[in-house]
Amino acid sequence: MQALNESLNAKKDSKTALKTTPVAHAYIKTTAKWAIVNEMEIAVEFASNDIEQTRKKVLGITDVSCFERYGIKGPQASKWLADHELAIPSNPNSWALSNQKDLVLRLGSSEFLIEDQLDDVASKKLADITRVEGLYPVVRADAAFILSGSEVLNLFSELCSLDLRDSSLLANDVVMTQVAGISAIVMRQNLNGEQVYRLWCDGTYGSYMWEMLLEVAVELGGGAVGLSSYKN
Amino acid sequence: MSFRIPKQAREWLNRDKKINFTFEGETFTGFEGDTISSALWAAEQKVLGRSFKYHRPRGVLSLANHDINVMLTDGTDTNMRGDIVELKEGMSLNAVNTIGGVKKDKNSYIDSISPLLPVGFYYKAFHTPRRLFPFWENIIRKAAGLGVVNFNYPRILKRKQHAHCDLLVIGAGPTGLTAAYEAAQAGLEVTIIDENRHAGGSLGYNRAGDKASVEYLDDLLNKVVRHPKITLRTDAYAAGYYPDHLIPVVEAGGITKFRAKAVIVASGAFEQPPVFRYNDLPGVMLGSAAQRLIYRYSVKPFNNGIVVTANDYGYRVAIDLLDAGTKVVAVVDLRSGSNGGLHAAELYRRGIKIYPGHCVYEALATSDKSSVRGAVICAYDDKENIALAANKFTLECDGIAMSAGWAPAAALLYQAGTGMQFDYGVQQFVPNRLPEGVFAAGKVNGIYDLDQRMRDGIRAASDALRHLGHSVAPYAIEKHNGPSPSHAYPMVPHAKGKNFVDFDEDIQIKDFENAAKEGFDNIELMKRFTTVGMGPSQGKHSNMNAIRILAKIRSLPVEKIGTTTSRPFFHPTPIGHLGGRGFHPHRLTAIHDWHQAHGAVFTDIGAWKRAAYYPAANHSKEDAIQAEAMAVRKSAGIIDASSFGKIEIYGPDAAEFLERFFTGSYISQKVGSCRYVLLLDESGVVVDDGIASRLATDLFYLSIGTSNAAAVYREMQRSQQEWQLNIALVNVTGAYGAMNIAGPSAREILASLTDLDLSYESFPISHIQEAVVAGVEARVIRVAFVSDMAYELHVPMAQSQHVWNALIEAGKKHGLRPFGSDTQRLLRLEMGHHMPGIDTDGLTNPFEIGAEWAIKMDKPYFIGQRSLSILAKRPLRKQLVPFVLASNFNADMPMECNLVIDGNEIAGRVTSISYSKFIDRCIGFAFVTPAKKAVGSEFQIRTDSGSLVTATVVETPFFKNQIKSQKGA
Repeated sequence: MQALNESLNAKKDSKTALKTTPVAHAYIKTTAKWAIVNEMEIAVEFASNDIEQTRKKVLGITDVSCFERYGIKGPQASKWLADHELAIPSNPNSWALSNQKDLVLRLGSSEFLIEDQLDDVASKKLADITRVEGLYPVVRADAAFILSGSEVLNLFSELCSLDLRDSSLLANDVVMTQVAGISAIVMRQNLNGEQVYRLWCDGTYGSYMWEMLLEVAVELGGGAVGLSSYKN
Repeated sequence: MSFRIPKQAREWLNRDKKINFTFEGETFTGFEGDTISSALWAAEQKVLGRSFKYHRPRGVLSLANHDINVMLTDGTDTNMRGDIVELKEGMSLNAVNTIGGVKKDKNSYIDSISPLLPVGFYYKAFHTPRRLFPFWENIIRKAAGLGVVNFNYPRILKRKQHAHCDLLVIGAGPTGLTAAYEAAQAGLEVTIIDENRHAGGSLGYNRAGDKASVEYLDDLLNKVVRHPKITLRTDAYAAGYYPDHLIPVVEAGGITKFRAKAVIVASGAFEQPPVFRYNDLPGVMLGSAAQRLIYRYSVKPFNNGIVVTANDYGYRVAIDLLDAGTKVVAVVDLRSGSNGGLHAAELYRRGIKIYPGHCVYEALATSDKSSVRGAVICAYDDKENIALAANKFTLECDGIAMSAGWAPAAALLYQAGTGMQFDYGVQQFVPNRLPEGVFAAGKVNGIYDLDQRMRDGIRAASDALRHLGHSVAPYAIEKHNGPSPSHAYPMVPHAKGKNFVDFDEDIQIKDFENAAKEGFDNIELMKRFTTVGMGPSQGKHSNMNAIRILAKIRSLPVEKIGTTTSRPFFHPTPIGHLGGRGFHPHRLTAIHDWHQAHGAVFTDIGAWKRAAYYPAANHSKEDAIQAEAMAVRKSAGIIDASSFGKIEIYGPDAAEFLERFFTGSYISQKVGSCRYVLLLDESGVVVDDGIASRLATDLFYLSIGTSNAAAVYREMQRSQQEWQLNIALVNVTGAYGAMNIAGPSAREILASLTDLDLSYESFPISHIQEAVVAGVEARVIRVAFVSDMAYELHVPMAQSQHVWNALIEAGKKHGLRPFGSDTQRLLRLEMGHHMPGIDTDGLTNPFEIGAEWAIKMDKPYFIGQRSLSILAKRPLRKQLVPFVLASNFNADMPMECNLVIDGNEIAGRVTSISYSKFIDRCIGFAFVTPAKKAVGSEFQIRTDSGSLVTATVVETPFFKNQIKSQKGA
């Protein structure tokens, strides 16, 4: 990922094929500060740093759809990951971190989702690799979120029927479930030393998901948090 | 005057805070912690409501949410249950179901004509003469129901949450608390649910003067509340049982759906009233209600009371009444002989007269029927269950406490599939065969002695632990020993009736007898005929007595009568709770905001919000659609088609997969070409259609309709599970945006944004190319769905706005305008294309829509092939045909689904119809009989107004192809 500080200053060129976050429609109601991150227009600040830090501690919702991600499936998928020195989660429905940068989610016995974390470009490079037999690309256009704070399980208790407490959702578990009535992938991870939950859903549901997450978050004392909060 | 008594140990009141409120316009004062009923009763206000049917005055019966005698409205909420709703400052309350107030209800005359209104009378009356039915209906509708629906009720969010635990204990009485503590001690994460405001159950009020029970409850609660593994939730009721231990728990703030690994039901039992004449008068209440008044709210139930009992519990109640300052006039016991044990001895010692083998023959009302003034007592034959009224006598009193037995609160056990059996030792149904992971303990399990109940809690915890894999020794518990806590038949016949079994519906013993005489002598039929148990209380105090009465009528043992079906929810639950937060998942394309900014009117197609059309100022929907369609025909239009289903099929067997899945042939399909796909179900019915584009020998790109996309992908996955071919399916519906630019200028507009050679020779119809358009990698498909000159562009969803903007900009000088899905339907109709789901229904086979050309019957297999081979041998019953109306047609326009009429017969229906400005003709599709399918045939369509319109079968397309020659295209 490009350095966020640089991208914040990047100017939008109307001839550039910019991407737009799938959550964009939901941003209309906000006065968010936008920036271009990974060639995607995305809101990076919703309120002052103090307010966003407070929200993060209670219940912060952050749109990270701009993280580069790439999917592969097929009988050669595991081998291909190994050839590229990426970590292979040992079991379906689990995840691993490669080089502290690349998140690898094993969604099935032979299906993987690779996502760049902050300041990484690995999956973008992988996406350019020519297809080989037994290895099939899965184009991802997810809406992706970080959910943080003390009330996050309270939020999930209303939107998801699964038990996502630490005792049930183990450190490297990935669950594919329904959140707010739509299919989603959920896991938890440590980000900058803080335990957060990650959530992915089909990008076309992104605005709906954002609105539902935010509606509950605000009721519980949290709110929208920009990507800048995680960068800083 | 007040029934309020000095502070009781563990009372639920905060005496430091007084609460002022009004009831029926009169001002009252209670304490914080009072319920509406307890505060009113403390002020000696005894008429708290009116019964549903006969409008009889009613007071406290159970004080436990087991009856509906006290139903109130505060102007916003209705049917508030006064027995449990806590008092709040400034409440302004009125009883529901009255005209003119609870004391002078104008409908109270109905009680005096009750002999004219036996159960089931409305099944037999009002039908004739028919012309009078609207008159009766008006009256019945006004009389039906309780309370008035407040249509201005504020929208208050009630959250619906999910929760999980190892063990869910239902009931925080001594049994449940003990079970929870034992399980938590062994390491389980336990949640306890109780419908009362405070935990403790009967241990809090069933004292019989024994102060030790209070201390014991304190100790038990301390252990439970402080235990880190236990969560105690009061004011919460378990509303039902669903498979896999899913139990919705209802609280004021919403519903929590608990999923537990094991469940212990320690829900106790409902006290049952004995049935005698006027047992519903204000002042006649259950013994446990009297105890709740005394110990929870420090209210004396009456000044001079009689206890009528049919078990030993009544003796305990009598002692509690004495301790509360009530003068106990007598204890009347239906059972003959010496009963009551040590408590009877104490009552004797305190000078209380006990009448064994006697009954209350009838309660006597005060002149205004607002209370009890006495009771007629007589001997009772406990074997024959008849009152021996010859030597009856009257005792003066102002209240009667009743104790006749218990019915298990077993609703959840029944719903879980528990097999119940009747235990004559306790005269109640008890669990015989429990489902996996469900356990019962305490009174619901037929265990009544306090010490034994707590040991039963330990036993249930032990069973639950073993079920969850813990190694604990079985814990045995002996059955109930001693007098039955319930009487086998606590009914006192009376010639004049009004001996009520069901207080919700004013049902008397004779109503059951009449029902049986009319043949409704099965418990389920009797329930429906008499409506017993069908009121808001759901039979909590009436079902068991109804079963006993029916058993006696039919001379059968109780277990042969059985029980009625218990269904969730356990208590009536507000609609707002059931609704919860509104979830309306919807999908937006990446171009949605553009459509919105340009005035699109949206329509829901599947989960998608699609732009239907873009009306200009002062333009109607029809104007907008015609203008958009004309742009496509004359210049160019563009539609956001991102909602189309898009599926990639990878792998060496990709073509073979399509061969099996669709009706056509794909093995021979060349890379870069597109072919029509038609999906059938196994019965040969048309499901969906679309286009399969071959991008590589091992890659097909499938685009299908919006509505069925998810279902088609699911079916593909299911088929692959079965076929196990060497393929991979990838649903890229949300990953790719799509747009279709169509019309004579489409090529020129697109050419300005790409280096792709768009000439016919290089890029003919039904071909696909990968190219860069406006700087974005795109899959470009030459389709002819809405126009013979059209390009469908599939680009990454996140960049589709960019490409769309570029096309709009490039198309400005050509008059390019957006068109919506409604316009698309007109355009495809002009082109003569039918649409699955619009021009087909759940029974249409491909022969009926003329799609034989799309079927390769000589393939080894495809879904629906076998059915088609059978259908092919049968004559067609209907045929989809294109039609036009008269060129000068200017009458009542037929609509989709209008019928095709042949003489007096229905011969088909219109599936699509529209006026086309471009063609200047009304055109459409309709199903007709095969005899009418020939071009030139005429048929009649009946419009909504009943007029008949003549249509003529034509050929498609409805207009001449705009491409002068393929070479020139």
